Amino acid sequence: MSKISAPRSNREFIEACVKAGDAVRIKQEVDWENEAGAIVRRACELGAAAPFMEKIKDYPGFSYFGAPLSTYRRMAISLGMDPASSLPEIGKEYLARTNSEPIAPVVIDRKDAPCKENILMGADVDLCKLPVPLVHDGDGGRYVGTWHAVVTKHPVRGDVNWGMYRQMMFDSRTMSGAVFPFSDLGKQLSEYYLPRGISCPFATAIGLSPLAAMAACAPSPIPEPELVGMLSGEPARLVKCETNDLEVPADAEIIIEGEICPDYKVEEGPFGEYTGYRTSPRDFRVTFRVNCITYRNNATMTISNMGVPQDEGQLLRSFSLGLELEKLLRSQGIPVTGVYMHPRSTHHMMIVGVKPAYTGIAQQIAQLAFGSKLGPWFHMVMVVDDQTDIYNWDEVYHAFCTRCHPENGIHIYRNTTGTPLYPFATPHERKYSIGSKVLFDCLWPVDWDKTNDVPTLVSFKNVYPKDIQERVLSNWTAYGYPAVK
Amino acid sequence: MNQWEVFVMDMSELAEGKDIQISIRTLNPGMHKYTYKHVRAQVSSTLDKFPDQLQVRMGRGQLSPAKFSIKVIEEIRRLPPQYS
Ligand SMILES: Cc1cc2nc3c(=O)[nH]c(=O)nc-3n(C[C@H](O)[C@H](O)[C@H](O)COP(=O)(O)O)c2cc1C
Repeated sequence: MSKISAPRSNREFIEACVKAGDAVRIKQEVDWENEAGAIVRRACELGAAAPFMEKIKDYPGFSYFGAPLSTYRRMAISLGMDPASSLPEIGKEYLARTNSEPIAPVVIDRKDAPCKENILMGADVDLCKLPVPLVHDGDGGRYVGTWHAVVTKHPVRGDVNWGMYRQMMFDSRTMSGAVFPFSDLGKQLSEYYLPRGISCPFATAIGLSPLAAMAACAPSPIPEPELVGMLSGEPARLVKCETNDLEVPADAEIIIEGEICPDYKVEEGPFGEYTGYRTSPRDFRVTFRVNCITYRNNATMTISNMGVPQDEGQLLRSFSLGLELEKLLRSQGIPVTGVYMHPRSTHHMMIVGVKPAYTGIAQQIAQLAFGSKLGPWFHMVMVVDDQTDIYNWDEVYHAFCTRCHPENGIHIYRNTTGTPLYPFATPHERKYSIGSKVLFDCLWPVDWDKTNDVPTLVSFKNVYPKDIQERVLSNWTAYGYPAVK
Repeated sequence: MNQWEVFVMDMSELAEGKDIQISIRTLNPGMHKYTYKHVRAQVSSTLDKFPDQLQVRMGRGQLSPAKFSIKVIEEIRRLPPQYS
């Protein structure tokens, strides 16, 4: 693998984005109450440059960086690639790096860790000293964690987990968040801490390097500190927390340390979500008690503003969910050509390209996809053949509308795991995370005779002899048409 | 006069004429705006009955046209004693 030169911190990433024209420096003062959120939302909806807001009302010395990874260009920059790289190129690079040897993190001395430049302990701890934004009008609160990692560790096995689980500021010392029962943290809590009534130490790291953030929301089985190393080609730099034994990214802008309470729940939400709606209502959710805050001088708080497409909730999660499914299917020897989730599906539909090698291959794919750790996050799998370009929605849609048999091609799976965020789910299903799934099998049946039963695709590429195609292509402008890019 | 806001799933949660327990957030300007307290309080749709004002949002954040006055009787500590 060639030497990777990816931005190693949020600051380096902002610089790289500004240089490439993919971030704008906003010099005028911006209000933390709605205005910053509205700027980020509009940037997402326009696919515009990421806003770096340098002056925040009431919070001198702090800044915001919004919509960090809501375009493929910024994703390419985060990986140290040419911003103009195509999506398949970015995907190939992600697969190559995440299939490489794990790179263990290093723990550095606290005096070398930028995130320790300011330390608030005891009576000084107050989340309101941070510029916590009101991201959307009508949200249940100001959200501390929208683009971050919640760091925890299994006390016996020692597994480290970094996950991006939203966190709302309830009061100066308390946050509440949506940690789904099927997430790694949800499992850690229900398996160990809750039954024993023991509080779970946590640390929230905000303003991470973009690859650390990417690792925190990747559904990969590789422990995140190693995954960051593999993605960036060098060890992640960690530092020990002030009040517990966890290790956090040393270059993060802000660290919030504390404990998850097994016996205390406060209200959380509603919040604008990646589906493009506020679906999950206010409810009593996982509660985080804060014991210490550390932060860099001139700290930058990162903001993801979830809503209608497209934001990083959709873009990055579609990207990593699709590629992790591709890895899983390849590990089972299934001859896939690729897996793609369109971000505009708000990561609800997996499109899988496969060589239709045997009967039932689409069902096997769907069962693996829905039955895996990735499964709760989407409810549709569409399987197309290896001649269909999975990245070209026109081709996929044509295959779906013409090859998916209404009786034989649509398979419904009932009573699966869902999320409380599915907008279409009934209130009862949302409350208990009950899901249902559907497979759209768009493959010609293997037992159809290829010559007499399978219809012929009537397209320029498929029905004309090669020499005619070449003649037409080379004469295209001579016929009077403008050149096709 | 303080400004407060409450989220409810149903307006019946704001019963008048008796003590109720609710989580309210402050809308007073300043850096603590939008932080919550859990309180015992009385509410009234008569806006000048109690000293503070209460605005209402529904479960998905929709602002309700209904307005109340509120008297906060006491803050209730729900946090178990082992937490500082
Ligand atoms: C912006 C953003 C916000 C997210 N918020 C949540 C959340 O509140 N709760 C949750 O369970 N997952 C959330 N996710 C998805 C998790 O980050 C994702 O499932 C990740 O893989 C969690 O790690 P885990 O697989 O270790 O549980 C969010 C993802 C993104 C990109």
